[in-house]
Amino acid sequence: MSQLRPFSKLPALNTATVLLVENEEQFQQSLAEALVEETSVTVNVRLSKSLPLPTDSDDSRPRIDLVVFIINLTSELSFQSAEASLKYLDPGYFLGKVCFMVTNGRNASVPMERLDAVRKLAATLHCPLLFAEDKTPDGVASAAERLWTILKVAAGLVPITTALYLSNLSRCTLPPDIDQPSFN
Amino acid sequence: MAEVTAAAGQLSEAARAELLDLCEDQFAQLEKLQNEIILCESNFCENPQEQSVNRRIATEAELKLWQTVEPTLLAANSEILLQAGKEEMLKLCSELEMVVSCSEAKRDKLRETIELEQKWLAEKRQVLEAAAVHTERLQAEKENSSAHNVLPDTKAKIQKMKAYQDRLMEALGDILEKYAPFPQNSSINKNTEIDEDLISLREILEVLMNKILNTPHDPYVTIDNTFWPPYIELLLRHGIAVRHHENNFKIRLENFF
Repeated sequence: MSQLRPFSKLPALNTATVLLVENEEQFQQSLAEALVEETSVTVNVRLSKSLPLPTDSDDSRPRIDLVVFIINLTSELSFQSAEASLKYLDPGYFLGKVCFMVTNGRNASVPMERLDAVRKLAATLHCPLLFAEDKTPDGVASAAERLWTILKVAAGLVPITTALYLSNLSRCTLPPDIDQPSFN
Repeated sequence: MAEVTAAAGQLSEAARAELLDLCEDQFAQLEKLQNEIILCESNFCENPQEQSVNRRIATEAELKLWQTVEPTLLAANSEILLQAGKEEMLKLCSELEMVVSCSEAKRDKLRETIELEQKWLAEKRQVLEAAAVHTERLQAEKENSSAHNVLPDTKAKIQKMKAYQDRLMEALGDILEKYAPFPQNSSINKNTEIDEDLISLREILEVLMNKILNTPHDPYVTIDNTFWPPYIELLLRHGIAVRHHENNFKIRLENFF
């Protein structure tokens, strides 16, 4: 099992690299385009359907500062794929270099249990959970902006802040009574 | 380090060289640390409990580091410091400007909200006042009225209502007599045969009204040959009566409110 490690490579100068993992490959393209518009530093965006990443591109791949799992709430497969991909990540990533992004959260056909499952997953891994609107340009831009804020910290571009520190503040937490049927 | 190199563009040769030296030192240190990290076998495991423990350990380590760290000067050269400070200040300024505009927008929004809320409050106050006046009046009425005068009052009211109803009925009868006379051979085409059992519009209405009042659960009246079809048409067209949903031969009086 080849795991992705956070510190296996030297960082490049003035560069932040983010890996977007999405099973459907719908949202990652537009999100990537919005992310690379950032001009103050070089933003590398790597796209993937799932983990593990192919080993033959190992050498050409830069150090990945942040792994983002994009989960489409209308599809069960999307969640399962993200869950299966998690074990190919070095646990070192979970100290602030992983975040979950949920799309289609406003769709009425989404079962509540799936959102709860995603929240539980994010909470057990102590990762932030972001909600994004992928249908409108504004939604994509604001999703990219929020991601960029996390990425800057994860790539070490913000002085006096570390990824662990940020993730301790922004991690997803569960209300204690989420399992009770009356929880709404 | 990244910012320092970015700022180096506008510096003198000597300061630039010094800065590059600093960067190289830093990078050498980074490489050293990187090698150490790679040499370290990671002993993490996937159990979520252990991961929480890992997280705690890492956070504690970070905390200790922050507590022990001493603030150091970025560089000894004053030119570099000036340049870096200037950039930091400019950045800070633009950020603060953003904060100002954001808080101004928020303040305006809050002002609007407070106006709305005050309007709402005034409305609610009026409602409260009206309700208080109403309760006062009811209270006064309750005190004034006793069992003795409630009964005559009600009786008088009933009497008044009855008189009113009689008057309405009479008026209705007059109008019907005047404008909807009893169907007679003379009044219509001579060729059509008129059933002898026909009843007048007034009687039709009477039947309908009695039916709806006596049996409200089943207000429908079956149309038979005593009902003159044009009258039924008239009632239906003007929305005075409606047909049964399933049975075409049944009609009832429309609900009037």
